[in-house]
Amino acid sequence: MPKRVLIVDDAIFMRNMIKDIFSGSGFEVVGEAANGLEAVEKYRELKPDLTTMDIVMPFKSGIEATREIVKQDARAVVVMCSALGQESLVMEAIEAGASDFIVKPFKSEDVLSVVKKVLGDA
Amino acid sequence: MDLQKYLSLFVAEAGEHLAGYGRDLVQLEQAARDGGAVQGTIDSLFRHAHSVKGMAASMQLEGIGALAHKAEDLVDVFRKDPARLDGEAVDVLLAAGDALQAMVEAAASGAKPPADPALVARLVEAARRSRERCVQPAQPAKEPARAAADGAAEGAATGREPAKGAGGSGAAAAPAPPEPDPGTARRGAEAPQARTLRRVQLDVEIAASCPIPAVRAFLVVKKLAALGTVARSVPSVEELRAGRVPGKKLQVLLETSEPLRSVERALGQISDLAGVALGEAAPERPAAGPAPAAAAREARSAEPARTVRVKTELLDTFLDAVGELILATARIREVGRSLPAAQRPLLDEGVDRLGAIVKDLHDKVMAVRMTPLALVTEQLPRAARDIARKVNKQVEVEIHGAEIEIDRAILEELSDPLLHVLRNAIDHGVEAPHLRLLAGKPATGRVTLQARRERDRVIVEISDDGKGMDATRLRAAAVARGALTEEQAAALSEREALLLCCLPGVSTAEAVTDLSGRGVGMDAVKRAIEGLGGTLEIESARGAGSRFTFRLPLTVAVQPVLLVRVGEEVLGLPIAKVHGAAQVELSRLDRSRGGPVLPYGGDLVPVHDLTRLLGFAAAPAKDERAVVVAEADAGRIGLAVDALLGQQDAVLKALGSPLEDVPGLSAVTVLGNGRPVFILDVQRLVAA
Repeated sequence: MPKRVLIVDDAIFMRNMIKDIFSGSGFEVVGEAANGLEAVEKYRELKPDLTTMDIVMPFKSGIEATREIVKQDARAVVVMCSALGQESLVMEAIEAGASDFIVKPFKSEDVLSVVKKVLGDA
Repeated sequence: MDLQKYLSLFVAEAGEHLAGYGRDLVQLEQAARDGGAVQGTIDSLFRHAHSVKGMAASMQLEGIGALAHKAEDLVDVFRKDPARLDGEAVDVLLAAGDALQAMVEAAASGAKPPADPALVARLVEAARRSRERCVQPAQPAKEPARAAADGAAEGAATGREPAKGAGGSGAAAAPAPPEPDPGTARRGAEAPQARTLRRVQLDVEIAASCPIPAVRAFLVVKKLAALGTVARSVPSVEELRAGRVPGKKLQVLLETSEPLRSVERALGQISDLAGVALGEAAPERPAAGPAPAAAAREARSAEPARTVRVKTELLDTFLDAVGELILATARIREVGRSLPAAQRPLLDEGVDRLGAIVKDLHDKVMAVRMTPLALVTEQLPRAARDIARKVNKQVEVEIHGAEIEIDRAILEELSDPLLHVLRNAIDHGVEAPHLRLLAGKPATGRVTLQARRERDRVIVEISDDGKGMDATRLRAAAVARGALTEEQAAALSEREALLLCCLPGVSTAEAVTDLSGRGVGMDAVKRAIEGLGGTLEIESARGAGSRFTFRLPLTVAVQPVLLVRVGEEVLGLPIAKVHGAAQVELSRLDRSRGGPVLPYGGDLVPVHDLTRLLGFAAAPAKDERAVVVAEADAGRIGLAVDALLGQQDAVLKALGSPLEDVPGLSAVTVLGNGRPVFILDVQRLVAA
């Protein structure tokens, strides 16, 4: 069964890009969220195997959302999507319970390798 | 990855972020002056710069990414200490925003614009300067350095603020995030009940390709902490937080009750590790496991609106299709009239129903096309600031009713006219600060944009509290240019005289500045507004200011037209241009000034024969003709036609080539009987 992915990013552009990476590689993108609030809600509704999470977003940051998601579901696998220069935020996200991170700009193979590893598939 | 397909989305979203970025900056500057709260705006500004950076990096547009990064760095300084925000910094951030916008536009056409090194240097310098302007004493480390072991094991659960800006900025840091559930960091540690503790020594090497090795090492420590207690970590967690991981090597001593393979499995899930070596040391003491975290639910605040992004061309296609439906329905209705009376009621019923559905569909499509004025008005405060700076004036812009919605097609054409009127208001209307003080006004001028809806029109007023316009001088200027005779000028009402500023070349500005010389004159403003089916009015009081009023239709697609017959042809005139009509005997008109003139409303209106203007074969027309009085740039004109056929709401369609090149025609519509009817462009008709 393909792993189910929730994509969280405030830019449609980024969501599309990440979606394309997953869709072509045996994952099923089951949902998208454009901010932290939506992310928490969608997570609860969809219970995905994997969540990719942008950090800087309106309404609720990716860090806050991750914290809440992990609080709800200690097994949640949340991978942060970060940009260079956000090291301290990524560390904060890891403390909040993020499982791993990828750094923009990302190559599809890097993204897939990180998530497969974190899901224990590789 | 083929990045091309993301380009248009990138351009659109980056553009939105940059618009927000500019808006935030202007708001910040204003708040700094008025002493308003700024933290929220700075955060938003930071988010915009940050988003552009991330998106650009993903599109491999390094130039945009680099510039946005430097802008973000500078904003970050203020994020930590808003008090350091000054006008100079805002200037350079605005310049960066403009450059980014230009670069995004260049990227839209396939370029990969490099960042301007001078601008990058300015941003870096401004950030350095702002950091140095720090007046607070350097703040001591937020917490006394703890033992690494303690920090590694406990820090995972405290959620305390990581040490940001290691450059010793001493800024007041953002408030710490709320306390997380202390259990979260130890998830996965399945209640290690007082089992035998293992001491595991780990040597980890981070892959050279990892862009942020310290974070990777941090992740390793945190994952290990979830399996037990990190007794020692080299580098320490604090060093990792500061970004230091010499040689990309990490050593950890882990105390855990988990079997070794659990530790191996956990590390196997972490990417970017070039090598891992682990071995067991002697056990020490038993440990108590933490209770598993209880799921907690939090009330959520404000739900964001859900929206879908649609290409605007698609909306145009919808509207076109609905326009065709309206025409087709009218055609069926018309055909039905020729049926025998007995069959008509059934068809009529169906057509009525169809008509109602199509009307509803049309309304819905129009509603989708409606876009808030904010889309164009939000650029005005920024523009005002730039203009005012250039002419050494102080201006505040107030905008009311930006939420009023109008057809997107109209909105797109509104930007230039609004900007021009704003520029005039500041350049020519608002006085220099010392003159304003002398006149008993506040030194800072005020330009107000007020939008409101009146039935099927949107009214946009731009008023200033400047020195007002001089109708007498406008009259003189128009006469000097030969546009009017002195008598004509003298006969004009005050309002009509003010509109003379819309004649090409007529201005009351004492000096033409580089602001007013941009090629968009008031004549272009008037033409643009009228081209949209709207009207322009000007009111002014000497010493008190001026008000420019745009009356705009809600939509351009459906416009009322006056149908007229000329010979065998039926033509349409936009009602917005039509002033009135009269039935006259052409031979009785006064011709003492050359062409015939019609006395109309206390005015003499030159009368043109539409048959001749259009180059139709002149049939021996009756002497008694209908004359439609219409507005042209230089004043009213009369158009002699054979008959007035009435008013109709027409779905206007743009002319394709080569018809669009025919002077005097602006659009085409189709009548219910299937007959195409050209809509006339009155101005170009008489100019041709």
